[in-house]
Amino acid sequence: MWDQILQFLFTGVTVGATYALVALGFAIIYNASDVVNFAQGEFVMMGAMCAVFLYSGSGLPLPVALLLAVALTIVLGMSFQRFAIARARGASVVSTIIITIGASIFLRGVALLLWGKDILAMPHFSGETPIQLGRATLLPQNLWVMGGTGVMVLAVHYFFHHTTLGKAVIACSCNRTAAHLVGINVGLMMLIAYGLSAFLGAMAGVLVTPITFTSYDAGVMLGLKGFSAAILGGMGNPMGAVAGGLLLGLIESMAAGLISSGYKDAIGFVVLLLVLFLRPSGLFGKASAERV
Amino acid sequence: MSQRKGFYLLTLLVVLLPLLFPDNYFVTVVAVSAGLNAILAVSLNLLMGYAGQISLGHAAFFGMGAYTSAILTTKFAWNPWPAMVAGMILTGTIAFFMARPVLKLKGHYLAMATLGFGIIINIILVQAVGLTGGPDGLGEIPTLSFFGWQVDTDLRWYIVIGSCMLLVVWLALNLINSRSGRALRALHGSEVAAEMMGIDTTATKTGVFVMAALIASLAGSLFAHQQSFVSPDSCDFFFSIELVTMVVLGGMASTYGAVFGAIVLTFLPELLVVFEDFEVMIFGAILMSMMIFLPQGMFVGMQNLLQRLTHRRSALPGEDPNEPA
Amino acid sequence: MNLLEVEGLEKSFGGVTAISDLHFEVPPGLVYSVIGPNGAGKTTLFNMLSGIYKPDEGRVRFDDHDLNGLLPHQVAQLGVSRTFQNLQLFFNMSVLDNVMVGCHLRSHSGPLSGALRLPNVRREEELTEHWGHEALEFCGLDDLIGREASALPYGALKRLEIARALASRPRLLMMDEPAAGLNDTETVELRALIRRICDAGITVLLVEHNMGLVMQVSDRILVLDYGSRLAEGSPEQIRSDPKVIEAYLGGEVQYAV
Repeated sequence: MWDQILQFLFTGVTVGATYALVALGFAIIYNASDVVNFAQGEFVMMGAMCAVFLYSGSGLPLPVALLLAVALTIVLGMSFQRFAIARARGASVVSTIIITIGASIFLRGVALLLWGKDILAMPHFSGETPIQLGRATLLPQNLWVMGGTGVMVLAVHYFFHHTTLGKAVIACSCNRTAAHLVGINVGLMMLIAYGLSAFLGAMAGVLVTPITFTSYDAGVMLGLKGFSAAILGGMGNPMGAVAGGLLLGLIESMAAGLISSGYKDAIGFVVLLLVLFLRPSGLFGKASAERV
Repeated sequence: MSQRKGFYLLTLLVVLLPLLFPDNYFVTVVAVSAGLNAILAVSLNLLMGYAGQISLGHAAFFGMGAYTSAILTTKFAWNPWPAMVAGMILTGTIAFFMARPVLKLKGHYLAMATLGFGIIINIILVQAVGLTGGPDGLGEIPTLSFFGWQVDTDLRWYIVIGSCMLLVVWLALNLINSRSGRALRALHGSEVAAEMMGIDTTATKTGVFVMAALIASLAGSLFAHQQSFVSPDSCDFFFSIELVTMVVLGGMASTYGAVFGAIVLTFLPELLVVFEDFEVMIFGAILMSMMIFLPQGMFVGMQNLLQRLTHRRSALPGEDPNEPA
Repeated sequence: MNLLEVEGLEKSFGGVTAISDLHFEVPPGLVYSVIGPNGAGKTTLFNMLSGIYKPDEGRVRFDDHDLNGLLPHQVAQLGVSRTFQNLQLFFNMSVLDNVMVGCHLRSHSGPLSGALRLPNVRREEELTEHWGHEALEFCGLDDLIGREASALPYGALKRLEIARALASRPRLLMMDEPAAGLNDTETVELRALIRRICDAGITVLLVEHNMGLVMQVSDRILVLDYGSRLAEGSPEQIRSDPKVIEAYLGGEVQYAV
């Protein structure tokens, strides 16, 4: 029983780490530009698909393929900001939602066109010899996912709290006009926010694909789960989003193992609804007072 | 264009199409889908366009109606009519209990809650295999009959769906220009001021949410009988998004806009089929660029343009009474 | 018999006291003004009287009804209406529709009969439209009837809020800084309008910073300072009250009366 739970824990943390990265990307874009980016999951898919293609299609060494794939996705994220989001400034909540959904459909269409409908695999970074912990097993790739996520979360935290550039991005999210007045290049900061968010998505994609495989429509559910995770943790708080991601991954994996794997996805969304009904600011967000 | 003239024009269009193009695939098949989508878009527009409450889960109500009709008629041999009513009662009840907690939320949070709700319903439809047939769906749903008049040809379905759509459009137009409709729009404009004018905003939101759900359920039942087959794909997350897009594409808070958006979005994929592999990509690109370049929607955008042109002309002889100060 | 009675009202936000132990009475048929420096708690008071905020302590009675625990639309049903400091108009609607929403409590048709456009609904619509015209005319907005609310200049918007509130035929009208942002001519017109409202038998509760207007239009004045009552009386009494001059006016300000 306990071995089983330990196994669910490993799975949960691995999946949760992916959710955490997507949620973190969501939170960064939401805080920087008030946009809920439904194309976030597509960054994950694009990163993974590009990596697979560059590795097995063009025969590049794996690390080079991964780096290139991530770089390509960053460019994609920035172009999305530059050519779609920036042009629709002042659009209503619904309009921006549809724009990002349009972008997500577009990217899926591109992937479908380039790589077809097949489910694609990628080699594990450092072998597939399982590590035995009691009767639970752990793949080296699980460690890659957990470690990679940990490093990136810390790096993002450092970026926002200890670098001038990161603080400038935060300044834009607090007050665009004021940031502009003190000489911050708001447009550039937005590009950085979207680039960073695409980077996190792509990293999640390349890290987890050896375990989960990928396909042109792999981004949809991931995006929605990342969104749920971000709300679970609190949209206004990037580190809360990370915690929300891990928590959601754990809840899902426990629920799948102990209750029913068919309803696994539903349980994640039930949790989301409960959080929204009972504590809309998220588990780790600050409750904001409403003023008339 | 006055509301009434618009309605006559729409009626004329619905009547003329099959007369001018009998046996045309686009009229008897695609237009029937467009009509169903128009019913859904008009109902969603009441909630979203007029009352200002975003819903990314409207397809769930459509699915509930479709599946209730499908299950009761195939597994329990019910007559389609009581099954349809049962679907509406079920959907309305669920919507009623959802409304209070959901509609307390605003903006992105409301969007997310309705989206989550829609996905949960869809997952249930996929998983409850014994009742719903799971991912394969349910087939052999009997068709409707009106006092012995079997709705068993494409043209007859065109007549049924066309009439239903006109009825829903007429009801929506009336509602919006009535006391309750003004309360809906006021709620969108300023919730606190609406309350202060004596409008029970919680009850009003609940009311419009339930009403939109009931209409969606009715459309779902019609869909089930028309297709004689339902599957979870016909009411998934993407369909909810498509419905929202119809409303926004036509222009929020315009009933004709919703109809227009439904027609455009139903025909667009049919036309894009010729691009084969490029279809999905082009669809996404069109969606994005329309929202970027025509944020107020195509129909409302064109209407405003037309109004400005005609006003300029009528303003020439005397002073334009509608010229903004 | 007072129309409005406030007893021992208290409200604080996260430890900061906005209103403390406030009591006052408004007799019917008067223009009753509440003045005080920014942050004195005037808008908080209005929000409590109209049911938007719940008081921490104390009682509000309106014409023998206890307002405590009522929601804004229930307060409105008793015959209280108000305008807002920052415009809360329905900018998605026409001018006429705005005031017709104001008539919400005077009409009764439900959504179903409305959707079917039954004959009695049609009659009620005509009547509502007539009431709407009346309210707009009363506020001098009749020539703007066909416009969209979003196309109106600021001064007209301020009057439209008053017209909308009047359309509900309230017994008490609360106005939150109606003169803010108006020019001198518009302020003079507003003064006349407030008098006309009062003459029509509607009690007016006014929050206003424009002292000239307050002194001219009010029958009684309540002075708030840090959420509590500093003074109350006729404009003359207030003008010569040393406490008021000391605390609120700093002893140097001259009235432009």
